[in-house]
Amino acid sequence: MRKKVGIIACSGEELLGGTLSRAAARIVVEKLRSQETIILCAPLFAAGGLERHGGQEERNFAKEHPTITIEGCEEECAKIAVDKYSGPPAATIYIQKYIDAHPELKSISRESLGEEGMKLAEIIAEDIAKKVDELFIRK
Amino acid sequence: MSKQKVYIIPCSGIGKVFGSIGRESAYIVVNELKKEKSALECLPLIVKGKKKVIDTLKLNKVIAIDGCPLKCSYNNLMENVGKVDAKFMTTDIVKENRDLRPESSIMPIGEHTKKLAKKLAEKVAQKVDDLLKPNEEGELE
Ligand code: SF4
Ligand code: SF4
Repeated sequence: MRKKVGIIACSGEELLGGTLSRAAARIVVEKLRSQETIILCAPLFAAGGLERHGGQEERNFAKEHPTITIEGCEEECAKIAVDKYSGPPAATIYIQKYIDAHPELKSISRESLGEEGMKLAEIIAEDIAKKVDELFIRK
Repeated sequence: MSKQKVYIIPCSGIGKVFGSIGRESAYIVVNELKKEKSALECLPLIVKGKKKVIDTLKLNKVIAIDGCPLKCSYNNLMENVGKVDAKFMTTDIVKENRDLRPESSIMPIGEHTKKLAKKLAEKVAQKVDDLLKPNEEGELE
């Protein structure tokens, strides 16, 4: 089976960082590394008892494949969930680092990133794509 | 006691457009339709078990919006908060509006998807009023 990297964005609904994490993840899986990556819904990884409802498939996937988590803020929700149920992610991306590094690119809001916000999401996505490549080389 | 709010918790669906409908409708409710009465929280933060957030949700009303039968929002809320006051499935609004087939695009979402989100938001907004009704009356002197 061809190796894939699981991309798990926290995708937090309340904060701008969550929206950026989601946008960056989509750019990676849709445009930059569509053959090498697969996107997984973050909440599927956590909560005891999810076995009763489904989601085990995703957890198993993440156990057997390298994962990259994307965190919208310092709470590290995606990393903590993946770590707990599927083992440590191969890499973690922190959105705040990019917001700080690019003060010129101002996102409009958590609901709509706007042109500059999307540019920032693309920069983040490029870095994630590089990490994906590294994981492929490493194997 | 400060007035109760209704927390709208959409699932964090990211793989398909059904998650986007839920998130978009939640934004419409908290930003436009029921600005003063509702609020959002990150579902993954609840899943993580953040105490402050969970305590707040216990003291307020909670609506789950899910994008697929795995019902991440509903199940995780039940697991961590111990209650859900109302729940919605985005797939139901799609079924009820066969003429508005949601586009597959997630970023940006399409026109049909936006319309579906608006329709769902209206239902959720109605539920917000219903959930707060006895409380508001109780506070009247
Ligand atoms: S990491 Fe931050 S933005 Fe992302 S889901 Fe958690 S609390 Fe929300
Ligand atoms: S309910 Fe379905 S679409 Fe929503 S986060 Fe869970 S798996 Fe994803």
